[in-house]
Amino acid sequence: MAAYVLVAPASESEALAELAAAPEGTIAVLAGGSDLLLDLEEGLRAPRRVVSLRRLPWRRHRWLSGGLEIGSTEPLADLEADPELAARCPALAQAIAAVGSPALRRQATVGGNLGRAAPASDLIPVLLALDAEVELVSGSGTRSLGLDRFLRASRVTALAPTELIRSVRCPEVRTRSAYLWQRVRPSNDISQIGVAVAWSPGERRWRVSLGGSPPRPVLAEDAAAELAGPNPGETELARASERLAAHPALVTDRRASDEHRRRLAGTLLDRAVRATMAPGRPAP
Amino acid sequence: MSRAGRPDAETKLRGAVEFGTDLAVPGMRWGVLVLAPAAHGRIRRVDLSAARALPSVVAIGADDVGPLVGGAKGDPDRPPFPSREIVYRSQPIAAVAAPSLAAAREAAKAVRVEVDAEPAVADLERLFPEWPGPQARASPQVAAHVLAHRGNVDRALAEAETVVAETYRTAGIHQVALEPHACVAEVTGDRWTVRTSTQSPFGVREDVASILGIPEASIDVEGTWVGGGFGGKGASMLEPYALLLARAAGAPVRLALTYREEFLLGRSTLPAVVRLETGVRSGRIVARRVRLLLDVGTSLPGRDFATGYAIGFLLGPYRTDAFEVEGFAVRTNKPPFGPHRAPLAPQAAFVAESHLAAVARAVGQDPEAFRADHLWADGSTTPLGQRVGPFGLAAALAGARARAAAWRAELPAGHGVGIGLGFWSTGTGAGGEARLRLDDRELVVEQGEREIGSGSVLIGLAEVAARRTGLPRERIRVNYLGTATAPFDAGVFGSRTVGALGRAVDDAAGSLLADLGRRMGEVGPVTLALEGDGLVARGPGVTRPLAELLTPHERATGGLRAAGRHYGVAGEIDASRVVEGGFYAYHDFTGAAHVAEVDVDPSTGGVQVVRYAAFQDVGAVLDRPAAQAQVEGGVVMGLGTALTEEAVWSDDGRLTNPGLLDYRIPRMPDVPPIEVVFVEGYPGAGPFGAKGLGEPPIIPVPATVAAAIEDATGAHLTELPLSPERLARALKAGRPSRSADAARRR
Repeated sequence: MAAYVLVAPASESEALAELAAAPEGTIAVLAGGSDLLLDLEEGLRAPRRVVSLRRLPWRRHRWLSGGLEIGSTEPLADLEADPELAARCPALAQAIAAVGSPALRRQATVGGNLGRAAPASDLIPVLLALDAEVELVSGSGTRSLGLDRFLRASRVTALAPTELIRSVRCPEVRTRSAYLWQRVRPSNDISQIGVAVAWSPGERRWRVSLGGSPPRPVLAEDAAAELAGPNPGETELARASERLAAHPALVTDRRASDEHRRRLAGTLLDRAVRATMAPGRPAP
Repeated sequence: MSRAGRPDAETKLRGAVEFGTDLAVPGMRWGVLVLAPAAHGRIRRVDLSAARALPSVVAIGADDVGPLVGGAKGDPDRPPFPSREIVYRSQPIAAVAAPSLAAAREAAKAVRVEVDAEPAVADLERLFPEWPGPQARASPQVAAHVLAHRGNVDRALAEAETVVAETYRTAGIHQVALEPHACVAEVTGDRWTVRTSTQSPFGVREDVASILGIPEASIDVEGTWVGGGFGGKGASMLEPYALLLARAAGAPVRLALTYREEFLLGRSTLPAVVRLETGVRSGRIVARRVRLLLDVGTSLPGRDFATGYAIGFLLGPYRTDAFEVEGFAVRTNKPPFGPHRAPLAPQAAFVAESHLAAVARAVGQDPEAFRADHLWADGSTTPLGQRVGPFGLAAALAGARARAAAWRAELPAGHGVGIGLGFWSTGTGAGGEARLRLDDRELVVEQGEREIGSGSVLIGLAEVAARRTGLPRERIRVNYLGTATAPFDAGVFGSRTVGALGRAVDDAAGSLLADLGRRMGEVGPVTLALEGDGLVARGPGVTRPLAELLTPHERATGGLRAAGRHYGVAGEIDASRVVEGGFYAYHDFTGAAHVAEVDVDPSTGGVQVVRYAAFQDVGAVLDRPAAQAQVEGGVVMGLGTALTEEAVWSDDGRLTNPGLLDYRIPRMPDVPPIEVVFVEGYPGAGPFGAKGLGEPPIIPVPATVAAAIEDATGAHLTELPLSPERLARALKAGRPSRSADAARRR
């Protein structure tokens, strides 16, 4: 690991000034560090300066009227500890529980997960299904991007070198949502596939998304359309599963064949939607 | 926990012990290996000049070590660095040392390597898509060929009522010790000194002498605490490089692998393909044919140990009339084959057990009853003609069947229960020696092995001394000595520590007691005891304080001394059955029958092992908590072999998953409750009838899990690991016939 200078600015403006002043490629942003520290150790990145965001006032989330705003540097474990989360956004609670180990979730952040934009992120499919917006800040102001537009390719986002992710906002609490995944090893593994579903009471439609298959998690509009109303029957479920299993985003890589991913996609969609309709779940 | 329970627990929990990776000495340089960029190729140039131009950097390559090199044991023409040909990717081709790790990494990057890449062969089935004929023995790709038989197999198969033929495939697996290989070397005058994390300090000394062409007497090897070995630290790996760097640098050099390098360079167990044919007549097995293609990486010709040893386990602990076993050790462009806890035996047991289950079903018999009917008993002979000694496997199987029946009586839908068997010989063949030193305060065992985490050294050896002498373990201390002063011992491997080194301790204790008996006037059998705060010797009707029995010279020089040794002798095989190659006789017979209950998700192929029971033939339990921990650890490790662990190489010889992210060992949430039941009363070759317990518990695990999955789903899987994707594909293919590729009935 090459030597670098670690700075921890106390304010947003100081942090942005650090980014603005650094020649491109010489600076790295540290949120939880669960990916960055590995990259540094492996020599995949050799920044001269590392800007830690830990002192910025972004380590918290708040429930808005009808929605949720998550500060980008809040550790996943803190979000997980909010008893409201599982009731109001079950899919997000399930996705957070799927990330790494408890020790890793103590460090890892939502902002880091989005900035990293890994193809197998467990959080991104759920945030897509919740129509999350990413709030970006730079010296020249803030802008908000829908997550789907924020993601460009595998590990590539719309984030400019001088920008930081300040927060992620889910406009609507979707109590009828679920996230299911499949892995070679159940504990602490990379998901071969993740399927998120969410019923939007405001828009009166389903959102369905797929993760785990490179290059990036995607929304599956076709499958969502098949589900139609809030309580799809067997025919709708079967059609939606079939659509999702045929999604072009399902490809072969070293973690799974496209054939296996297709089999899983249909099964998990079916199970996820049924989970949202289980007895005891709040009415849509 | 008390000192007697787990003497190293407290210091380890406090972080106070020094593992190999913790080593640091003043003035130390940091070493880094330069690894080959291709799996196969001709070296055009290795240019060290840019690295050497960096401040305080030393760099060495093939040109610098040539005249010194004698060649490694078993690898006579392979120097530390190749000068012409690269045979596997990440083969060390040069090494550098610098005052810091960062500077050493910079220097390693500055080494220019020019290689003319040549086609690499990483997949043994690409080399031999069909079973090779006899002419393949002359192929440069064949490192060894073994063949043994009894009777006329072709005729017996032709006359059988049912023949079941199957092909199985098993994956390469890594040892995954928590601590990577690490050492610090120093060369002063003609003293070559290395402190290293190893399962075998004397083995390292022998290897280093052979590789560097220097006398063993010039080499001192001191073992550090070992953060897990599992077979991966049984031979030298980094020590010759570290010593050569230290000599070039004129300073101590630390050389340690990163975890990524641990995967890339590690001598892992490699893939195998096994073809079997079994013939049955009137419900009895009358003929077996087993053919093994074993990938041995770049191991050199003549290395047939793995092949010859593994092939016996492929027949399983079962009686047969005619048989033929044949194996080819096939060279590929991968690192050399290395042992992994019970090398190849878990894979072999998976093949043997799954195949016999398929045979049983093909003839309409219950697989568990069929195996029980054919199992070796005391007095049976193995296929190679060795008489089977005390063997608790039938008793273990009876226990396992009872447990399986109980679980089946309350089985939820989607669950299955399976039984797998495995056997092993605990390696008392490699010899060892130990010394004892007794004063009026304590008994000290002086010996040359480091505790590697199993408890076999610190608990096992102390317990042997305690049982023989009568002293409580609190007054027995096991002391480690480096090769300069320790009595010889072969190493902590092969489940031999208690069985062989323990016999040496027992032998020394016997001498010690006999000596005391003479000093007490031949009063009869003598034991030791603690009275008040001092030790006493007791004979029939006599008790003497030890202080009185020791001479003034002994009191002044650390106490009364005794030495013991044990060099085990194996049983005999019938040599007339061996046509070619090395087949090995067993020292004792140990086995286990395991039971697993699994919950299978047939849509995703996901398998959860929900409970597990191990019925383990152990001869005699010396220390129950340590023995239980060994079985639990073996089961957990075996679950990885069964379900998730697989080293994946690309066609051009690149390991695609060199890290714990995509090489998946079990984690705590994946581990079921494990019940351990010891089967005693079938004594082994170790002290007090003990059998080794390091390797045996891992052996039945993949077979057991496979049987449980088949019980739950009907899927008969023939490839390890039993991954969700393989299982889902098998189930999608329409619940394949339980009875394999081809079952022929008349």
